[in-house]
Amino acid sequence: MLRMTLAGVNHKKTPIEVREKLAYPKEHLDEVIRTLNSRDGVLECMVLSTCNRVEIITVTTGSNPDHSFFLDFLKNTHPSLAQVNIAPYLYHLTGEEAIRHFFEVTASLDSMVVGEPQITGQVKEAYDRAKTLGYTGLFLNQLFQRAISASKRVRTETAISHLPVSISYAACQLARKIFQTMDDKNVLLLGGGDMAQLTARHMKKMGVRSLTLMTRDSRKGMALASEYEATYRPFDEIEEALADSDMIVCSTGAEHYLVTTEIAEKSLAKRGRRSMFMIDIAVPRNIDPEVARLGNLFLYNVDDLKAVVESNQKEREFEAHAAGIIISEELQSFARWQENRSSVPLIQALKEHTEKIRQSEIERFQGTFATLPPEAREKIEILTKSLLNKILHPAYQTIRHSPGSEEIWEWTMKCYGLPENALESLPQEKISKDPPVSTPIPFLKGESPA
Amino acid sequence: MEVPLSPFEILLIKIAAGFYFGAFVLLLGDILFSRVKHGSLAGVTAGVGGVLVHTLALFIHFTSMGHVALATLREAVSFFSWSLVVSFLYLEHQRKGSLLGILIFPVSFGALLFVLGEGVKSGPAREGAESLLVRLHSILVDLGLASATIAFFLSLLYLLLETFLRKKIFNTLFNRLPSLEFLDRLNREFNGLGFLFLTLGLVFVIIWSYGTFGVLWPWGKRGSWAFLVWFLYLGLVLLRLRKGFQGRQAAYLSIAGFLLFVVTILAVNLFVGGGHSVL
Repeated sequence: MLRMTLAGVNHKKTPIEVREKLAYPKEHLDEVIRTLNSRDGVLECMVLSTCNRVEIITVTTGSNPDHSFFLDFLKNTHPSLAQVNIAPYLYHLTGEEAIRHFFEVTASLDSMVVGEPQITGQVKEAYDRAKTLGYTGLFLNQLFQRAISASKRVRTETAISHLPVSISYAACQLARKIFQTMDDKNVLLLGGGDMAQLTARHMKKMGVRSLTLMTRDSRKGMALASEYEATYRPFDEIEEALADSDMIVCSTGAEHYLVTTEIAEKSLAKRGRRSMFMIDIAVPRNIDPEVARLGNLFLYNVDDLKAVVESNQKEREFEAHAAGIIISEELQSFARWQENRSSVPLIQALKEHTEKIRQSEIERFQGTFATLPPEAREKIEILTKSLLNKILHPAYQTIRHSPGSEEIWEWTMKCYGLPENALESLPQEKISKDPPVSTPIPFLKGESPA
Repeated sequence: MEVPLSPFEILLIKIAAGFYFGAFVLLLGDILFSRVKHGSLAGVTAGVGGVLVHTLALFIHFTSMGHVALATLREAVSFFSWSLVVSFLYLEHQRKGSLLGILIFPVSFGALLFVLGEGVKSGPAREGAESLLVRLHSILVDLGLASATIAFFLSLLYLLLETFLRKKIFNTLFNRLPSLEFLDRLNREFNGLGFLFLTLGLVFVIIWSYGTFGVLWPWGKRGSWAFLVWFLYLGLVLLRLRKGFQGRQAAYLSIAGFLLFVVTILAVNLFVGGGHSVL
């Protein structure tokens, strides 16, 4: 039976000072995986190394590699860590626990920001690397496919990825709560700060009708406007520009209010009191907070947006509970696959053994059959195969329904006279093994990856 | 005349009420506990089940009466409950507004409980109940009330979302609510629809009144109330056409219009004199 073991460190238990030392530089990962694969008993393996986690996954046939196996491996591949005690940080999971953890990591349920999409890509990259090197087999291939499928289900069946956790996305989320569509909306950017530019990019993605940019420095303003396909307007047209805009993002370096209650009121009146959404991410603020008292005008500052992000983070964690149900379902499905898988070698051995008997019997009567026409010989082939299948069918069913049962195993071997080495003669799932790498990897001496 | 509902009709109404209640519980559960997308499907399916059974009950009743009969309060309430759910299902199908379901299904359920309570009553025929014009009037006013009810609920959702946005409350309900613009637009559409139904309903009753009594507008208590409601809705529709009248103000006026509509219907049917006696 194939056994999975997963050991590693992550952002939950391990401080950044240790994590940054344990992370493997990308360019050396191939060598690390080769080293791991060369260890005794390791049939399949992969290594996931990101800034928040380093996880080593092995598949073995005998017993699971223990805690010290992984400690030893980490120390060998990180000679600079020889003096650091990493044992308290290292988690060691086996069997179902390990599989569940892998599913959760892939679905971004174990991430620092639950639901962030990058980790799924990083897992895919780690798997692809191991696969390209030829260190994945039936188990890891199946595990990865199911983990990706679970991750997709989590994304589509829960709202975990729909709640933004960045300030600029939160502004877009709020805009969607005020406006039904953005394709008929005009957005005004007051100032060309980083946050305003980031919001402008998101707004473009949301498909706003037009972007207008206003900066004190007209040259910089025009350059930015052309970068974002926006229209540049000078600051003295602020009242008209406000009246034309449905959403205003303000992030100038001005130390006074650029949008006063009076200006906002006039603009609202000019635009027929249609809703306006103002975001003031400047510190000190550029929009008079009193503006928020006006009807059909919604004003948010940077702290308000942070509150949205925090709330979304809590919601995502809540969503993670629903995602846990999906993970459990996928885990059960994987367990069923494993159970079926464990019965396959015995069935295959039985099939091969009985097929050999059938063929030898056919050969025994070859002389008699030689006088028959080819159609009759073909029918004899079909008849004997069908007879064999019908006789063996109940045995196959019994084996499938009792995966891993020692009693069934022994009974089948005795009853059908299977030789002791029947299973060994089956084709091996394992890929070829490279010669062992016994020396520590030289590249990591004193090196700490970004 | 008002005849008691048959045991089979009562059974169907009970099943439909059960479905409506189930739909409410499922939709509420979806909003409060389920984090799964499309979780509202079970609630909507229960609503579809309810409306199918309810349609059968109405069909049997109308067949037994020989025509579409909304002459009694019981019949009007049953039809109102049915129109509400049908409108909701249409909205859900078109634009995904499952949140509206948690407001609509309790009303439809309550309306059917009222129908069941009134189900065994019998009485004399109402004035004008046999007239096609009065029947059309009843259907249109019922549809008008259903539209006003939906506009009322949309206004409540609008005010709720606006409060969340102003007070910076970001909870599960906030995430489930559609945009202010969407709620405001739907509110305008349903108020317009309600006004259209109400106007047509009143036109039919005016024609009937003129033919029967020789007067265009029966200025009795019922007539005065009906005129007041129609006038308020006319004002609402005209105001909505004006630039700048939207959002919170429109929501408040929509709520007022609905309340006056309900008060008129209840006052006229329960206190002024049931059915469709005009004066």
